[in-house]
Amino acid sequence: GKEKASQLHAEGSAFDPSAFAEHLLSFMGLNRLEEEDDDQDGHLNGFLPQDAWQKLAKRSEVCFKTAPSFHYMLGSFLAEPPPPRQRVE
Amino acid sequence: SSQVQRARENFSSVQIDRKVAEVVQFILVKDQKKIPVRRADIVKHVMKEYKVIYSEVMNRVRRTFEQVFGLKLEEIDTKNHIYILINKLEAGETVSMCPGNPKSGLLFVILSIIFMKGGVAKENLVWNTLKKLRVDSGEKHDEFSDVKKLVTDEFVRQKYLEYVKIPHTEPVEFEFRWGLRADIELSKLKLLEFVAELHDQDPQSWTQQFREASASESRT
Amino acid sequence: MSRPMGDSHRRFLQSMMSNGIIGASQAKALHKHCCETHGAHYAHDRLDEFIDVINTQLQPMFMNIRKGMSEEDGLQYYALVNMAETDVTRMASDYADNELELFRKTMDLIVDSESGSASSTDILNCADSLQTKKLKKKETEHVLNKFVQDKWLNEKHGEYTLSVRCIIEMEQYMRVIYQDLIKVCHVCHNIALQCQICENPRCGIKMHLPCVARYFKGRSEPHCPACNDFWPHEIPEILRSQSQG
Ligand SMILES: [Zn+2]
Ligand SMILES: [Zn+2]
Repeated sequence: GKEKASQLHAEGSAFDPSAFAEHLLSFMGLNRLEEEDDDQDGHLNGFLPQDAWQKLAKRSEVCFKTAPSFHYMLGSFLAEPPPPRQRVE
Repeated sequence: SSQVQRARENFSSVQIDRKVAEVVQFILVKDQKKIPVRRADIVKHVMKEYKVIYSEVMNRVRRTFEQVFGLKLEEIDTKNHIYILINKLEAGETVSMCPGNPKSGLLFVILSIIFMKGGVAKENLVWNTLKKLRVDSGEKHDEFSDVKKLVTDEFVRQKYLEYVKIPHTEPVEFEFRWGLRADIELSKLKLLEFVAELHDQDPQSWTQQFREASASESRT
Repeated sequence: MSRPMGDSHRRFLQSMMSNGIIGASQAKALHKHCCETHGAHYAHDRLDEFIDVINTQLQPMFMNIRKGMSEEDGLQYYALVNMAETDVTRMASDYADNELELFRKTMDLIVDSESGSASSTDILNCADSLQTKKLKKKETEHVLNKFVQDKWLNEKHGEYTLSVRCIIEMEQYMRVIYQDLIKVCHVCHNIALQCQICENPRCGIKMHLPCVARYFKGRSEPHCPACNDFWPHEIPEILRSQSQG
């Protein structure tokens, strides 16, 4: 125990992916189902709201220096006049 | 050289302006899907007979991206001459009109795991963590549809991730690393700060990662 | 001499790139935000001049920030548009060839219709006879959804119309391609697809619904502004937000 604590001091905290996942779930607004225990392998029950990933994306935007991209319709296909009208009686 | 000088005289300034615009458009088209642009493709599809004045045109393209768009054309691979566009403006608070792109949320999670694990993460670790976030590599996801393809193909082609076989493994195992684009496009310090915020912890409590993040910040 | 761009202009342009189109009130807020972020001089009534500075630099790249009115709510919008049609622009990668063919066919249907709209049934029928590659029903619905999400089409009760973004960017193209099929609004002189039509066969002028509302506001007996015949259609109400604009 003592040895581990001093090692921790030198190396800093260890990163625990499971704990990370749990923090992410809370951030994304996990709706925990009431009256239900989490299953054995520590899997949190509940469901994520529709905008969960958008919310995370929005917050993490500051980490990215992504260039916005330019989208258009004109010029993306060859101009062609419509076929002559076919009137159906 | 005088050869370039002579070649230069074959084109009017209007023609060169037009070529600059075409190269800018070409790079913007490639960036629609965040696919890096190869010099060979610029020459083949756009520059064509103007390739004798390649550097002059590219200098003007670079200047246009910086002065008009606030973007930077970065060469991420100087051997194969591969370019990407990155943003020169501070991310900061944006007027939030467009919702976040869910894919970059997923990317953030994967890049965080790799960074926090010291620069490399085994495939299984990444998938198991994603599974806790209701993203299963074997199932079709509502937002990401084929997650396995998105992560190991799209993110890899965009150069956000490297997905490589671990040598001498039987059965074969793969690991993830940061791709060349991620190195340039992401701020490790901002990423660490957000990860720390999620844990309600001080960024400095991860000594190694904090050192690495601060070092990379001073490099840029 | 053109005024140089600053970071405030660049931020505005970047925001136009990621949004494609924004409403006039959003544009005003964005203008303020961009100027404040970069400590640039901000004059609330100078939005169009601010945009002109950007447009001067965009022009050589065949891009433009353009203003237009929505046929639906009568409000002003700003869209970032492409003006070039070249081998390079045809490499645009947002849609596959058959998806673009479907878009063209949908435009054909909408322009050719009285109502300025096309039903999903008619579009689905088109999808069955695409030259590039047929689309199944499910795929077609998915693609149409994408067009709505990307703000090229609007959808209401299974009827598809051209969005204001589409009309702002494609106006010139439509005038060339559809020629006589295209009519303009008698009031605002822009392309009129969703509109009311004068029933006098020798007149037949078109007016957008928001333009009708504005034109006949406060007039007791509506008459056609061109032939003076009685205007037989229901006069729509002016939207609250519209009267403020
Ligand atoms: Zn009108
Ligand atoms: Zn009339």
